[in-house]
Amino acid sequence: MKLKYADHKDVIKWAFLLPCLGYLVLMAIFPLVWSLSLSFTRWLGTIMEKPQWTGLTNFRNILFEDPRFWKALWFTVRFVSLAVTFQLGIGLGMAYLLRNNFRGRSFLRVLFLVPMACPPIAVAFLWKMMLHPDIGVINSALQMVGLPKVRWTTSVLVAPFTIVMVDVWEWTPFMFLALLAAFEALPVELDDAAAIDGASNFQIFRNITIPLIAPVIVTIVLIRVIDAFKLFELVFGITSCGPANATESLSYYVYLTGIKWFDLGKGAAMSWVFLLIVLGISLVLFRFRKTV
Amino acid sequence: MRKKLILVFLTVFCFLIPMALLASGGSVDFKGRTLSILVNDTHVQVVDAWKPLWERETGGRINVILVPYVGLGDKMWIEFRTKTGTFDTAAIPSTWLGDVAGGGHVVKLDPLFEKYGYPDWDDILPAIQTICKWAGETVAFPYDGDCHMTYYRKDALEVPEYQQKFRQKYGYDYHMPPKDWDEVRDISEFFDRWDWDKDGEINYGVAFIAQQKTQAQWEVLNIIAQYATKAGPPTNTTSNIFFNTDTMEPLCNTPGWIEAFRTIQELTEFAPPGLLGYGYSEFRYAYVSGLAGLGFDWGDVGIMEQYPDEYGSKVKGKLGYGPLPGAKKYWDHLNEKWVYEDHQVNFLNFGGWVWIIPKSAKNVDMAYNWVVYITNPERSLLDACGIHGYTGVNPFRKSHFDPAVIGLWERGGWDSNAVIGYQKAIMDILTDPYAVTDLRIPGGERYYDALDYHLAEVLAGITTPEKACAALYDDWVRITNEYGKESQKRYYRQSLGLK
Repeated sequence: MKLKYADHKDVIKWAFLLPCLGYLVLMAIFPLVWSLSLSFTRWLGTIMEKPQWTGLTNFRNILFEDPRFWKALWFTVRFVSLAVTFQLGIGLGMAYLLRNNFRGRSFLRVLFLVPMACPPIAVAFLWKMMLHPDIGVINSALQMVGLPKVRWTTSVLVAPFTIVMVDVWEWTPFMFLALLAAFEALPVELDDAAAIDGASNFQIFRNITIPLIAPVIVTIVLIRVIDAFKLFELVFGITSCGPANATESLSYYVYLTGIKWFDLGKGAAMSWVFLLIVLGISLVLFRFRKTV
Repeated sequence: MRKKLILVFLTVFCFLIPMALLASGGSVDFKGRTLSILVNDTHVQVVDAWKPLWERETGGRINVILVPYVGLGDKMWIEFRTKTGTFDTAAIPSTWLGDVAGGGHVVKLDPLFEKYGYPDWDDILPAIQTICKWAGETVAFPYDGDCHMTYYRKDALEVPEYQQKFRQKYGYDYHMPPKDWDEVRDISEFFDRWDWDKDGEINYGVAFIAQQKTQAQWEVLNIIAQYATKAGPPTNTTSNIFFNTDTMEPLCNTPGWIEAFRTIQELTEFAPPGLLGYGYSEFRYAYVSGLAGLGFDWGDVGIMEQYPDEYGSKVKGKLGYGPLPGAKKYWDHLNEKWVYEDHQVNFLNFGGWVWIIPKSAKNVDMAYNWVVYITNPERSLLDACGIHGYTGVNPFRKSHFDPAVIGLWERGGWDSNAVIGYQKAIMDILTDPYAVTDLRIPGGERYYDALDYHLAEVLAGITTPEKACAALYDDWVRITNEYGKESQKRYYRQSLGLK
């Protein structure tokens, strides 16, 4: 039987698509479905051979009987809000200041890429050493100028901000580079016209530039929010959740439950709750993006 | 002539038999086979030291799977679940045996001992024999003897002028090492924040591991062991600190535990400012750099003390060693009352590292040969005495304490007086038949994580000991219920040697 041209085209299309779809099903859909099914079971992997069906017990456990989950979530939310806000503010300011062509601009761009290019776990250990309360270079520098030592990683009040500070150092360049590209894509005529009409620099920035780059801002904030929610390496490397659990993130708690304690059912359930929270926040941001 | 021949024959025979027995690696042929070893960064030095010799003697090859400590458990559990035979043997903390052996993931060793023999099992210290067994069966090879001990600065506590000032302030003479935790508190306060060693730098009273997710829980357990029980053959009230053995009710909300939490919270006031950032590594470097008067740790500090170049030790020859401080009272949880009695309890913190062979191992015979090879009396002594540097191995055989081998310890960098004191402190603890064993039941890591979680808040001073103990109690009840109360009770009783 001879295939029609349209059918032939379909076959080729599916032939190209199938490897991708197969990969997607195997590597993304199957693990998701598998972990969802696990989340309705009790499976203490260290002593149980097979999972036991327990329905919604894990979810009830997490949401209503586990204060540690809520504490970790609260820290994560505070971290995301602060870190992304600072990254956006500093990135926006830097991009605005450096948007014009000047000597050494390319070099600066490459330099700003360095923190982003470092593996997060390396960043964590690098900063851990620099922030060491007794032998860290930062406290030594503070002492040299007559300032007192700061308990960067051992104070319950300071440690959460230390994690935010390191994350800001690492990811502000992402904001900066994305916003710099957005600035460069803006038509200069609008700024010129506004200037001729007597608008000040601040008025131009607020009423012309920001509205024009708003879609870019929302997009990069969305990317950073999703990524920041997965906070793990910095906590793991710098504070190990401490002091006094002040920096335990949700990802870290999921890791402890599922990987360290091998409580696979509860770990899977926790991951799903986590996923739904991030999805919810992403949906809100998506909706906001449409309005701008 | 005939008599002479018989004599010669007998002499040769007598030499050959022990030679053949000693050459434990030489009698096997593993040519063409590879043994995979899972080991973390601390113990890789032991593997590196013996690997070339073992390979030469047996013809086998060794593939070392090196992981950091934090990744050791993950790697091990993934293998236990997937059973792919990734490794044939692994060095793990004995405290994991509750899950590892309780889950039936390892080869039982008694049949292998009978088949291949084991060099000088009776030479292994009784406490270490205990930690290698689970539910009455040997499931792990001894490799390291771990217990906390007291370290104190002789150049502070032994100074008559300081002793006199202390007597004037507190009205009594302290002991060296401190006799109980009340003395620890007073000594720590007295020697806190002044330059008592006259090196131009401020010293502090006490230091210990306090960083979260490291080993801080064992520091408070040192104190709990004194206030929550008394030494004796394990029963519900003696040498038992974790659960009521009849009901599996956690004891962590009893006044004994609360008193221990209160004590450790108070000690933080006399410690260096960076205390909450002290993991085991930070603490050891800080202590051998001469920062504090008292310290509580495993035997590793004693080894690091001997090496000014490698570890920056400024206290070589200045440390005194002793058992854990005791207490003037303990809580009788059955009769719910304090019993006022001077006493001291030894506690096998962590218990020590052990080698296990997973059920999925492809080369059980090679794994057995390797572990027996490195842990035999002669080789393990070289790892423990410092000749191989800092290996993470502490003495675990009686022969390691033999006065005849002190020369080897001296070759390992030890001062002869120091080694005698060090050995005595460890020997007294590890030979104590009533030493409290560490928690070794399924979910052990979860119980300890919960303890670490609430202890961290106490150490940071953001909660009270009473609140922390109450919250810990709730967590432990939940964990026990998740694992099954009856089975946990059975396992716990077995771990104490109770029927």
